[in-house]
Amino acid sequence: MNCEKCQELIGDLLDGALSRHDELILNSHLEECLDCDGVRKDLASIVSFCQAHRGEYEAPPNEQALWLRISNVIASEKTQAPANNSATPRRSFLSGLMGRSWELSLPQLSAFAAAIVLVVSLATVVGLRRLETGAPPVSPDGPHTAGAASPSDRVWQQQQVISYWNQRIEVNKARWNPEMRETFDRNMKVIDQAVNESINELNRNPHDEVSEQMLNESLNDKLSLLKEFSDL
Amino acid sequence: MKTRFMTRRLKHCACLISTSVLIASVFFSEAVPVSAQQRLSKRYPVGKNIRIELKNISGTITVESWNRDEIRLTATMESPTAHIVPKQLDECLVVDVMADNRGRGDVGDVNFKLQVPVNCSVDLETRRGQINVNNIRGASVRAHVSSEGDIELSNVTASQVIAQNTIGNIFFDGEFSRGGTYEFKSTKGDITVRIPGDSAFRLVAASSARKIAIGPFWNNGFKAIGDGRKYVGDVGDGRSSVSVTTFSGTITFMRR
Repeated sequence: MNCEKCQELIGDLLDGALSRHDELILNSHLEECLDCDGVRKDLASIVSFCQAHRGEYEAPPNEQALWLRISNVIASEKTQAPANNSATPRRSFLSGLMGRSWELSLPQLSAFAAAIVLVVSLATVVGLRRLETGAPPVSPDGPHTAGAASPSDRVWQQQQVISYWNQRIEVNKARWNPEMRETFDRNMKVIDQAVNESINELNRNPHDEVSEQMLNESLNDKLSLLKEFSDL
Repeated sequence: MKTRFMTRRLKHCACLISTSVLIASVFFSEAVPVSAQQRLSKRYPVGKNIRIELKNISGTITVESWNRDEIRLTATMESPTAHIVPKQLDECLVVDVMADNRGRGDVGDVNFKLQVPVNCSVDLETRRGQINVNNIRGASVRAHVSSEGDIELSNVTASQVIAQNTIGNIFFDGEFSRGGTYEFKSTKGDITVRIPGDSAFRLVAASSARKIAIGPFWNNGFKAIGDGRKYVGDVGDGRSSVSVTTFSGTITFMRR
């Protein structure tokens, strides 16, 4: 069982809604994985807190009527939306904008102009910051968000992030002294070896938990090494 | 007679010249690197529960406790262009070699020696180089080597300890606190943990090389996973969490 699947099932475990078999598998994973065990503990404490403080908040006068009103509103919005789409002819945004008459007072006009200036300047500042810091095109948290993808998918996703940091390293590498360059290359080689061995092991045995853990950790280590050396 | 006298004078001169050359060569061979190095030494009066954050690029970091409410920081810089500006913020001393030398090019090795109060928390980081921490009883100890360098934590008692490197050995000699968390991780290096015989902890140890020796702390409650590449189990009442991971090294537990 992997961590994502485990964390999906923790709620059911606490509710007692799991089968005996699933519960055993989940518990054995929780015994081995400190992260998932931490999630279980957090969730358990939230649930127990809510249970302990149940009834301490004022409920609406007629709870059932309130829910009925909410469900009616949702249902009516659902039915209106397709009806509106089919009944009214589609007007383009531009024709709608042009067809509308605009009457703005002087303060409204000046507020409108100020808002445009603010938005443009903010967008410029954000854009410049991104250029300066060189924010990656994809989320740099590759292995954490990789979830339950297959090892090759996960490695591919990770490669997207890694290639970004590799580019940054290549730009900065010329400034390093030869010893630093050698150190970086040597360490990268060791991590790549760990990644490849884990992938090979997973190809032989796709359900091997230890290799999966090692692969995740090696990919994280590689990313950390790239990030930390890209600052030099 | 005159010829003999001249010969003796020539011999005397030759002897003097060769001795001078020898002395000069010895003097300069020693003097050049010494004069190229810079040394910084500063003292900071602090409270008992101080925290130190040190970010180095390359070089050795040594931290040891002493019986004074002050920190003595000594840095030996290989390059004269290296710049170090320690900052004291409330109960925290921050030394960031990376930030202090941005745009200055290669600053070479900077070797640090820190003498601190025994209850100090330390957060040490370097891209390359060895980290030694001795006789510390602070709340947390973190030693992070991005690439290669050994980590040695001797006589350390803290409720949170993290030691991590890519290539290099990790040695921990200390005590686990009740409810504490301990994480030791290396890609290519041996990890040795030396703790008292009555330690109680929950262990998750993984080594792809299948070289895990739990030694005197082994009990039948340990579960082997992946053909002995990972062991999970409780020692005593398992009141602290210990995670040890190495890809191609050994894991050894020893009694103090």
